[in-house]
Amino acid sequence: MAKPLVFQWGDRQLSFQMNKVDRAKLYGFKESEVLDDKGQKCELATLASDGQTVVGRGGSGFGNLTVDGAWIEKAQLTPVDPAGQKVQPVPSSFAAPVPLNEKVPPEDYLDCAVRSIYQLQSPDDVGPLAAELRQGVIYRFPYSFRGGLEPDQGFLLANAEGELFCAIGKPTKVEFLSLAQAAAAYEEEEAGEEDEADAMDFSLM
Amino acid sequence: MPEISLFNSAGRDAVVNLQSVTTPLRVRWLDPQGRQVGTARVVKSTLDRDLEALIEKHGDLRAIGAAIRDQDPELDIETAGRLLSETSRVYVDRGRKIVHRAQEWEVIRNPDGTERTRRRKAIPDPNVGGETPPLKWSGVLIPKREAVRKFVFVQKMQLAHINGLTYDFLFAIAKELESKESLLLLGGGTKSNQPLILRRGGSQFRGFLEGRTKGETYRLVLHLSNLELKAPEEKDSPEQPAEEKAT
Repeated sequence: MAKPLVFQWGDRQLSFQMNKVDRAKLYGFKESEVLDDKGQKCELATLASDGQTVVGRGGSGFGNLTVDGAWIEKAQLTPVDPAGQKVQPVPSSFAAPVPLNEKVPPEDYLDCAVRSIYQLQSPDDVGPLAAELRQGVIYRFPYSFRGGLEPDQGFLLANAEGELFCAIGKPTKVEFLSLAQAAAAYEEEEAGEEDEADAMDFSLM
Repeated sequence: MPEISLFNSAGRDAVVNLQSVTTPLRVRWLDPQGRQVGTARVVKSTLDRDLEALIEKHGDLRAIGAAIRDQDPELDIETAGRLLSETSRVYVDRGRKIVHRAQEWEVIRNPDGTERTRRRKAIPDPNVGGETPPLKWSGVLIPKREAVRKFVFVQKMQLAHINGLTYDFLFAIAKELESKESLLLLGGGTKSNQPLILRRGGSQFRGFLEGRTKGETYRLVLHLSNLELKAPEEKDSPEQPAEEKAT
């Protein structure tokens, strides 16, 4: 049995098992097959800029370089926040109960780019908490699977059917734009009821 | 800069910028001198020296082990450690040769893994750009409180003006949506019921437009979703979130 995520809600501790929900489980999934002209399966690889070096899966890695271009091991580096303060590691969310004490409006949840969704199931009596979530309350909490430097944002909420979910993601930064300014780009990387239902058909994608 | 062409509720259309929204950098790494370091992608091993290639050349794992001990055949010192940048994605065949005439197929499977259909992979064109018909004002407004309980928003894009006229255009849309505390369903096609395709051959999403204003400033965000917030029909055994990245 997987380790449960335990929330501290008021004076109660409520444990939940997490079941990942994704497109494959809801709608099925697509596999891509690439064949050569003999009908044999091909694999994806990376061609370097010299046009000759071909690197297969696992054939490349990431390293850290100083401003001088010198290789440096991660153990020699110090993590800092945008203000330059050393970042303290956070423990795994599964190591201790996670306090539920921050209710947020829908806008705060909308500001998060959700990466994973889990359906929550509990052997405990979660009726009072579930009732609150079914009223539309959303809780936010810091979430880290293994522990580390940068916790994600977790959100506890109920869907329209009253089932409980945990959404995991990262906050985004969207600027308000004035007439004089264009947004800073953070590159890192007439329907009736029937028509409306049609518009919501996610399985078509 | 990507563009999006859309109508407002009054039936006027405009082409505006569509910008990526990503998460801000929250942790930087400093070297012992306090200088920020960067990351680089480097070559570890090339395809002609991977395990399969070595098996073909040396026969079995025991022989490969001996060869690695004596000759370092897995390592090309001219290539290993080279920085990788401006790379291309290519397909290789079983002989590890680049395939120049590849055929892409899609196999569609049901949630239980059974095959539903098999077809040549289509590469759809984007349907939100300045050269495509403007996206219609669907009129389908979903209160934010309901939307967050029905859909999972996995990506976001920000709409931005390109001149004074489009500033007025977008500010008014943001104000209108803010006053209704709702998201506008934004889709392709005459009935706004087609998914949005932002890039050629890219993923397909349902779009939901959200507006907020603060004084004379605005933010108009296109929330993208390809997943409803609902439980699968058959419950699986509890699954630890093992796919989460270490944070």
